[in-house]
Amino acid sequence: MVKITFIQPDGSSREIEAEPGTSVMETALANNVDGITAECNGSAACATCHAYFEEDRLNSLDAMAEHENDMLDFAACERRSGSRLSCQIKVTEALDGITVTLPEMQ
Amino acid sequence: MASPVPVMDDISLAALTADPYPSFRRMREAASAVWVSDARINLVTRFEDIMTIERDHKRFASTNPGSLMNKVMGHSLMRKDDEDHQVERKAIEPSFRPGVVKNQWTPVFDGIAERLIDGFANGGETDLFGSFAAPMASLCLAEMIGFKDVSWQDLAAWSQALMDGVSNYGTEPDTAQRAAAASQAVNAAIDAVLDHHRNRPGPTILSSMLHAEHPHSVEQIRANIKVIIGGGLNEPRDSILTTVYGLLLNPDQRARVTADPKLYRTAFEEAVRWVSPIGMYPRRVTRDTVLGDTQLKQGDQLGICVGAANRDETRFSDPDAYDVFRDRHAHLGFGAGPHFCAGTWVARQMVGEIAVPKLFNRLTKLRLDEDRPAIMKGWVFRGPVSLPVRWEV
Repeated sequence: MVKITFIQPDGSSREIEAEPGTSVMETALANNVDGITAECNGSAACATCHAYFEEDRLNSLDAMAEHENDMLDFAACERRSGSRLSCQIKVTEALDGITVTLPEMQ
Repeated sequence: MASPVPVMDDISLAALTADPYPSFRRMREAASAVWVSDARINLVTRFEDIMTIERDHKRFASTNPGSLMNKVMGHSLMRKDDEDHQVERKAIEPSFRPGVVKNQWTPVFDGIAERLIDGFANGGETDLFGSFAAPMASLCLAEMIGFKDVSWQDLAAWSQALMDGVSNYGTEPDTAQRAAAASQAVNAAIDAVLDHHRNRPGPTILSSMLHAEHPHSVEQIRANIKVIIGGGLNEPRDSILTTVYGLLLNPDQRARVTADPKLYRTAFEEAVRWVSPIGMYPRRVTRDTVLGDTQLKQGDQLGICVGAANRDETRFSDPDAYDVFRDRHAHLGFGAGPHFCAGTWVARQMVGEIAVPKLFNRLTKLRLDEDRPAIMKGWVFRGPVSLPVRWEV
């Protein structure tokens, strides 16, 4: 199991045991973590699973496709250097211990 | 314990077409799926049930051998699942990305809207359906597809004929014939420009299809362009009119929106929730299963009523009201799951950032025409079919 800590905009946090092979978005939804909407259920079409990943661990995440890159510019909350669509990030051992901060809105 | 699908044989297609919302409410209260005899389909109307369906395409498939849409349009990406769907969806994405919409399409849409308003601005009154919303949607769509020398009236007529054919659950022969003729005309319009786009890659949808990593076959192009003509014309047209109608019916909200133009985007989202342009689309049950409180059987045809789910009172307070300032909740106006509307970002820009704000900016003291009331119609597809307005000149 891979441990991921989700941090809400109010600072509260929850550590979740994620299953490798699923996406970070699916992990959040399966565990009723607030702050992820995921209207398109992982198609990178809606930009409602936006989250901020730890910047110094971005290299260990799946590479960003042009489509996701474009979509992030239009997320409801500001794009920062750690911004990713959580549906495009597969859970792997490399993510163990990572923190994922959720935006104010999707 | 799940119950069998209840039957409602006192809901007529005519009643649904005139105003589906009282019937939708009855269905939501009755069960997770309701067989409506006159529509000959099981209708699903609750928000949570539709989310369940859209997150489980193994149990609830879009593929459908007997689909009316396949007959009318050919086998498009709308009736495919998984890999087959993803490949075609990915191919067209470059034309629909929000950044491409902003940089490539916004100047085009902007010019179209200005020219159309120029055409009637001095008149003091118009029916926005025919003078603005229909040509706006049609002209923008023709540009995005990459058609040449297709009039907006022809494209609008093809779209209507195709949509009538797809929603022809009463199976009238006339409707089927008009849809077949429209289908032939679309094929000819595609054939006329294919070489042009093959030789000159650009932002158009035809170009994206031809130059994708997995290029579309001619058969795939024809089917998917027909889906895009159906979904790309009626829906922005109807949501332009519904947004204007919602704001004109609610002067307080209109005043706040015109004072803070970034709220037009929210006004558009609320319009799509309030009267969803695509009110219903089909799914097929792949094995005996339970949905909410209802037992379904393999092969059951489901009508997914997002128009009903967007008025689910367990999700939205006072759901029948148009309220730009309601608590923000995701709605199902663009669907959900892998088939989430590909044109979402186009519509947000075309309707919420361009068409509607320009009308309110350019037409002084815009108001509903007190002598000619607006007419709303439809349930599979729904929107104003007439929106007469007046303003000061």
